Amino acid sequence: MELKIYHMYPDLLNLYGDLGNVTCLRQRCQWRGIHVEVVGFSMNHEAPLNEGDLFFIGGGSDRGQNIVYSHLLNYRKLMGDLIEDGAPVLAICGGYQLLGEKYIDAEGNDVPGLGIFDYHTRSEEGRLIGNIIIKNSLGLSPETLVGFENHGGRTYHDHKPLGEVVVGYGNNGKDNQEGMVYQNCIGTYLHGPLLPKNPHLADHLILKALERKYGLKELPSLHDEGEYSAHNKVLKLYSP
Amino acid sequence: MGFIISYSSFRYYFAVIAGNTVSFILRKILKSSASAMPGKVAMTIYPDILKLVNERCHNKILITGTNGKTTTNNLLNFIFRREFPSVLSNLRGANMPQGLVSAFLHDRKKEYDWGIFEVDEGSFQKVTENIKPDYVLVTNFFRDQLDRYGEIEKAFQDILKALEPLNTTLILNADDPLVSNFRKLNKKNIYYGVTSNQYSTNQQGIVESRFCPACSSYLEYDYYNYGQLGGYQCPDCGFKNPPYDYSITGIDYQDHQYHFRFLEKDHNSQDITFPYEGIYNAYNCCAAITVALEIGLPMDRVACSIEEFEYHLGRMENFQFPDKIVKIALVKNPIGLTETISSISLDERSKSMLFVLNDNPADGRDVSWIWDAEVEKTVNIKNINQIFCSGRRAEDIALRLKYAGVPDELVEVDDDMDHAIGKVLKEKVEIIYLLPTYTAVFQARELVLANLTGTSKKMSHFREYLKNFKISR
Ligand SMILES: [Zn+2]
Repeated sequence: MELKIYHMYPDLLNLYGDLGNVTCLRQRCQWRGIHVEVVGFSMNHEAPLNEGDLFFIGGGSDRGQNIVYSHLLNYRKLMGDLIEDGAPVLAICGGYQLLGEKYIDAEGNDVPGLGIFDYHTRSEEGRLIGNIIIKNSLGLSPETLVGFENHGGRTYHDHKPLGEVVVGYGNNGKDNQEGMVYQNCIGTYLHGPLLPKNPHLADHLILKALERKYGLKELPSLHDEGEYSAHNKVLKLYSP
Repeated sequence: MGFIISYSSFRYYFAVIAGNTVSFILRKILKSSASAMPGKVAMTIYPDILKLVNERCHNKILITGTNGKTTTNNLLNFIFRREFPSVLSNLRGANMPQGLVSAFLHDRKKEYDWGIFEVDEGSFQKVTENIKPDYVLVTNFFRDQLDRYGEIEKAFQDILKALEPLNTTLILNADDPLVSNFRKLNKKNIYYGVTSNQYSTNQQGIVESRFCPACSSYLEYDYYNYGQLGGYQCPDCGFKNPPYDYSITGIDYQDHQYHFRFLEKDHNSQDITFPYEGIYNAYNCCAAITVALEIGLPMDRVACSIEEFEYHLGRMENFQFPDKIVKIALVKNPIGLTETISSISLDERSKSMLFVLNDNPADGRDVSWIWDAEVEKTVNIKNINQIFCSGRRAEDIALRLKYAGVPDELVEVDDDMDHAIGKVLKEKVEIIYLLPTYTAVFQARELVLANLTGTSKKMSHFREYLKNFKISR
């Protein structure tokens, strides 16, 4: 078995240790004997998107995100079709915002997003920073997902959230919801990085990719003591 | 008028007394080494106290940038204190305005030959409103663990704005495109750098900005020395390393020391040995020697000081135990951690390591920066016996090591730092590396000293230990 992981714009979108998500996906496949190729997709390294089995989009500086937007716009339809077809996508922070309709900046200007989803993000007073714990809506066990959020934008939508906030802010600090799930596309504000401390979510993405490609229904389990002791440490330190 | 002067001087003395009282309470009663607090109190009472510091120092050097400020400051002090009777400096790394004031309260004199201060990038503007430097040294710009969007660009713009009105000489790291971009201010610029050497790579590791600071194109690199420091040029506008005024060349690592040649513009050269690891320390040495030569100190004496330099306070400090060496190196951001791991991998001695990862506000509450560091390089470290992981987020660093490919059996997690240090010091190895984050440095150092004096009362650090901790034990 073989998976192609597309790391979108690794040179421009690379904040807050998000690279660790790709490291995690790659290792967890390799530990199971699944061959992995990580493709760094960027402006000067374009690759056929429809060959990707799993997509990761992180966040970047404003300059980085503007460059990404104007480039990725060429692939908007293809990206939308892939999501509709059930390709697993993990989009974090800036990447999550980018998939929506627009970002309204501090001066009230509209910065367009790809518009694959109909949500928008608004810059509001004060950054939402801190450890975050949510209860996932994917039915994964354990129920909790842990991470660290750091965002000035507030995202508003009626889609299914990734989870319900237990500690922290989530999408906007108001409606108690965190992230978004559509088919196998997940948008979220959780850094940390997200996947190493939440191996159940990492495996969910890997399984969805293998299911779509090979019809696989189950993954062999791994020794996740280290992963869950880091997960549980966050719960121990920061649960209410 | 007389009243105003006496009122002002009353406020000054009151500020000094209050600051020193706070300092005493912190050190002796609360046993805290937080060194900015006395300055903070004094500044509240006498806001212009920094201007007074400015007046009392005949010459001033400010050091700013992300990494290497504290080491370069310590190096400069080591050189300058052999040449000048009075130097004022914030050597303990408290680098905001209140930290500078604390240093002054601690070492109060009517005048100083030199004031040498490291200044946090975020405080640079505030400091230069009061302190008018003769020289400003800029080391590099990297992402700190608490990065905000566009932080590096903002730091650059803030410092640029603060430098603009100053009549000062800039000492710039030519190898960092973000730093050499200060050339556009058209001040008097002195450039230093490290030439391509056997430790340079073609591989781009963590690079903070791939864009040309002049025109935003992609920069091309001939080689990388450390992060985005290296030989760069812009294919579109021609922006590239300015020619060096001072440089380090021919670096070689042998017998746990760095050997290199220091070159002046007129091709005078001097071979120097530096007893601390890391390419980043080559840059720190280069910066310090550049400043020293630029103010007219003789090369041979400067070289001698560099070779005899002894580091204190946990930024790569050595402790000699009867049977082993213990080194403490502060790690605080991805580039620093990557370079520390790289330099340990050059050391052939049998060794054990201890990471201490805390997530207190001063460390950065977000520990995700450890995933931006190339911890994968840990697998290149030779003759390693055990890696201990400790601190509030011990499990996070252990997990990072797991995903970096470090075998499980090498890693032991113990989130109680006292225990973990006790265990690692018992390892039967030639050298122990302790890598703590900021809030763990002072405590780790204290525990090592306590173990050291417990082992042998003849150790040279014993006197220092007594001086610092007599009352607290
Ligand atoms: Zn250019």
